[in-house]
Amino acid sequence: MSTVDDRADTEGHAEPADRPAPAVDERIDRLVRRVLTVGLSLSAILLCAGFVTWAARGGDMPATVPGPLSAARSLAALDPIGFFSYGLLVLILTPFVRVAGSIVIFLREHDWRFAAVTGLVLVSMGAGLLVGSL
Amino acid sequence: MIVTMILVFLTAIVAGAFGGMLGVGGGMVLIPVVTLFLGVPMKVAIGASIVSVIATSSAAQIVYVRRGLTNTRLGMVLELATSLGAILGGLTAVLLEARVLQGLFGALLLWTAWGMHRGRHADGAHEATGLLPQRYLDESTGQTVEYGVHRLPLGMGLSFIAGNVSGLLGVGGGSVKVPVTNLLMNVPLKAAIATSNFAIGVTAATSAAIYYGKGFMDPRVAAPTALGILIGAQIGPRVGARLRSHVLRIVFTLLLLAFAVQMFVGAAR
Repeated sequence: MSTVDDRADTEGHAEPADRPAPAVDERIDRLVRRVLTVGLSLSAILLCAGFVTWAARGGDMPATVPGPLSAARSLAALDPIGFFSYGLLVLILTPFVRVAGSIVIFLREHDWRFAAVTGLVLVSMGAGLLVGSL
Repeated sequence: MIVTMILVFLTAIVAGAFGGMLGVGGGMVLIPVVTLFLGVPMKVAIGASIVSVIATSSAAQIVYVRRGLTNTRLGMVLELATSLGAILGGLTAVLLEARVLQGLFGALLLWTAWGMHRGRHADGAHEATGLLPQRYLDESTGQTVEYGVHRLPLGMGLSFIAGNVSGLLGVGGGSVKVPVTNLLMNVPLKAAIATSNFAIGVTAATSAAIYYGKGFMDPRVAAPTALGILIGAQIGPRVGARLRSHVLRIVFTLLLLAFAVQMFVGAAR
């Protein structure tokens, strides 16, 4: 465990020697908060837009979501299914972005151990996708 | 359809509040209600439930991280073990009969509920081990709690198994992670809930992407679910933070018992 940063100890508490540097943890937590806030807000806006356009246009809603490309065309045409699809896709992708962002921060901080942990998480997510789509 | 969608939305708010407060996905509230009372097909309900886990985890996490309750590093270690287990679970799903597994998992939940009940005396007795240490302010008591993690390898092993089971059954990630983290790794209940909540989003995101790709997601159910959860999961953690740990423990134990009954009913069918 690295004690990279002493200036982080601003709260006046005595830190045990191998406590992870709070500055890094603070940055990670801020990243988590930001990624999640942006991802969820965007997803909520898209889903609401889906309901609004659906209410305005009426018509049948398909029982399944189209693939990302077809959904993008629907989105460009302001079709409600496009908004719903992208609202769900953004929600699903948010944890992937959160994990990828943590890798970058740990790498920058030379925290190799946790860069490896989060890197493996992303790899296993990718492997899960591969296995699941077989 | 419009009435069903509104009812799904309202159910999702409740599921999100419970899930967010207890560190679980909320699928165990959502799935039975929408399939039994709202006539939603099981496959569609599972697709919506997986989306609900991501939404619960992410929305509640914003609250938990801000309050410093999440042990982010521990969460990352646990999500690694869980996601590796989930891949293996997905691979071995064909080898085991779901009913046998549901029965076994039901029994495990009963045993866990007993453990949670017995563990009630341990609230507040936490020591700093120096391993992945964390400090947070308990709002219900106004005290700062400081702790370190115990038995990390054992906790990782059990999270691996939890991921394995949830890969096989599509449920149960958080209901195992919270007790393991709290009882074996000696993490205070509130921090265990916040940390489990952090970790459940990753495996759910992977499953959801697969479900989306296979076309198992019905926007008429998944969209109102996602919106409802996003609201409910912001309320749950705020309520949970104000509750005393022993109250939270009782609610969680009841949840485990209800979940065990669900598993037994599924196995007996």
